[in-house]
Amino acid sequence: MKKNNHLKIVFIFLFFCGAGINKAIAQDSVEISPVTLGLRYFLPENKIPYIIVNTKRKVGRKFEPVKNVTVNVYFNAATANNLLGKITTAVNGEGRIAFPPSFKSTWDSLTAFKFVAESVPAKGEEILNTDLTIKKAILVIDTLADAEARTVTAYLKEKTGNEWVAVKEIEMKLGIKRSLGNLTVGEAETYTSDSTGTASAEFKRDSMPGDEKGNLVLVARVEDNDIYGNLVVEKPVPWGIKAKAEENFWHRTLWSTGDRAPIWLLSIAFAIVIGVWGTLIFLLMQLLKMRKIGRIYLKMRA
Amino acid sequence: MEKLQKFSPEKITSDLLPQKFGRRGMIWTGILLFICAIGAFAYIQQLRKGLVVTNMGDYVSWGIYISNFVFFVAISLVGSLITAIFRLANVPWRTPLTRISEMIAVSAITFASLIIIVDMGRPERLFNLFLHGRIQSPIMWDVIVITTYFFLSLFLLYITLLPDIKILIEAKEKLGKPFSKLYRWLASFWKGTGEQEKMRDRSITILCIVIIPVAFCIHTVTSWLFATTYRPGWDSTNFGAYFVSGAFLVGAGGVVVAMYIFRRVYKLEHYITERHFEKMGRILVMLALLYLYFNVNEYLVPAFKMKKSEEEHLTGLFTGEFAPMFWFAIFIGMIIPICILVFPKGRKPNAMFVAGVMVVIGAWFKRYLIVTPTMLHPFLPKYDAPAKYSQYFPSWYEWAIAMGSLAGVLLIITFLARIFPVISIYKTITDHEEEQPS
Repeated sequence: MKKNNHLKIVFIFLFFCGAGINKAIAQDSVEISPVTLGLRYFLPENKIPYIIVNTKRKVGRKFEPVKNVTVNVYFNAATANNLLGKITTAVNGEGRIAFPPSFKSTWDSLTAFKFVAESVPAKGEEILNTDLTIKKAILVIDTLADAEARTVTAYLKEKTGNEWVAVKEIEMKLGIKRSLGNLTVGEAETYTSDSTGTASAEFKRDSMPGDEKGNLVLVARVEDNDIYGNLVVEKPVPWGIKAKAEENFWHRTLWSTGDRAPIWLLSIAFAIVIGVWGTLIFLLMQLLKMRKIGRIYLKMRA
Repeated sequence: MEKLQKFSPEKITSDLLPQKFGRRGMIWTGILLFICAIGAFAYIQQLRKGLVVTNMGDYVSWGIYISNFVFFVAISLVGSLITAIFRLANVPWRTPLTRISEMIAVSAITFASLIIIVDMGRPERLFNLFLHGRIQSPIMWDVIVITTYFFLSLFLLYITLLPDIKILIEAKEKLGKPFSKLYRWLASFWKGTGEQEKMRDRSITILCIVIIPVAFCIHTVTSWLFATTYRPGWDSTNFGAYFVSGAFLVGAGGVVVAMYIFRRVYKLEHYITERHFEKMGRILVMLALLYLYFNVNEYLVPAFKMKKSEEEHLTGLFTGEFAPMFWFAIFIGMIIPICILVFPKGRKPNAMFVAGVMVVIGAWFKRYLIVTPTMLHPFLPKYDAPAKYSQYFPSWYEWAIAMGSLAGVLLIITFLARIFPVISIYKTITDHEEEQPS
């Protein structure tokens, strides 16, 4: 019986050793892929575009950001004249380059353009490069409100020659801007543009709290589109419920400023302080009396 | 004690007068001054460069300075225990211990106030606390109550010293010049008239009545600095009582150590007798058991529940990186002293001294454990913080300042013992006369 118990212990020990070795081997064999370089194009409010550079690599089954990679980003071709900027990726593996004003005339004259990114390799590293071709497009948001319904409409147009032409069958998101993200305007997550480049959604969030004036911010987005990149436009509308801030700032509370302390707290604190310090002052008076008695005693003796 | 009954008042006076530093006293004072000087140098550096010289950071914003502060506040509570509680309870054997405990209280509360200023990054802005302070904040309560306790302790020490200073003025020839001006400035008015005696006696009684609730407040409010903050290990309704019981324990431990040292150095065996150690031993063991009981409450209940949010903090204490210090503090600060003191042989001076030292050292580590591990384990997850923020070990500046402040407390006690009698001469003679068969 005792021998059996020993065997059991040995078996369990070997089992855990085996499991440990297996885990260690498994950890050693995690695959790490080479660093990849990516580019994303953003055009907010149809104004000044910017580029996000990202560097990542696959560790096991998931991607992890790679920081401290320096990347040069060029407009159309990788030449010194076309350098948009140089960026080093941050902890999240990303860096952002704004479009410089010196490229405005080139930007205005083109209908499609290419961004080229090239890493500045450290010693012993290989150069990473990638490019991104984007067709110039704009996104417009509009609203229609009557007695029966409120509608949000977004139009997507691309530039062809000197004209803006509607683009069909592009997925868009129509939402309401909230503190921690966008809430969809209607029930669907995305809407597809029709032959006129229009995507519409009925606004069904009737009791949505807005700001103090009742304003909500509507947002239309084209996200990570292969041809047009990321386009975002916003429009404030007075469709929300006016938010009424609670007027408790000037109340006497435990968390307000010193001059707004609760009366009960002040009363207790002052009662204790006056009581104790009053006693201390009384005792000091007693001490002064003792001094006086001492002096009188001396005079009498003299 | 029996021998003391045969002593004349002159002999008692002669025995209890302050004594000049001998060679050992000079070395002791020199060492303390040296440690204080290093602490002062480190503090000047901290003032020049800022709190960046410390290893405190976003998470451990309260480190060794606040641990020291809590320790000083705790040890200062002894003034109220020995002087006030014993006097009001009319404990007959208290006389040789009261002055020692009052001196410890004054010096500890002085450095409790100073170490808080050390913890401030911009001490020159301290006045803003008084200009714009919020009475809603426990920090403000602490400032008020510490200031109050400081003045009460100082006043208690002073008023009980008055008849002794008269004796010191009269013993000018024997004592020499060094402090005669100081004695005259402090108490030349004291003639010991009946009226003065009556007023002094009444003042001491009033002080003793006032100082007890203030002493309880000082440590309760200090505990509230922690308990009103929502953090693992501090989120307790029990903290006030837990802190007060711990303070009484370390204070009593401190008095035992001081009793032993003064008895040996000043040869006061006839005044601080084995009977005093026996009595203090009983008090110490009772306080240690009480504090152990509170510790069981503080740790067992959360450990039984082991809430996810507190798990890391608790396992860190019980079996993790703080476990050696935690068990050291529990065993050295409570369990071993209890084991020593429950036996009559353990309540002899030498054993009591060892137990007292253990209690004081254990108490210092206990304060460190109350502050630091909790700061390292906040409820909110640490996000995007450098790895060094997850650890804390004081920098040499912090160690130097902390050790300097500990040396400062001992230095004040040393100077007070050099200037004033460590046992009340007047009270000893009065007690002696009362005990004489008429």
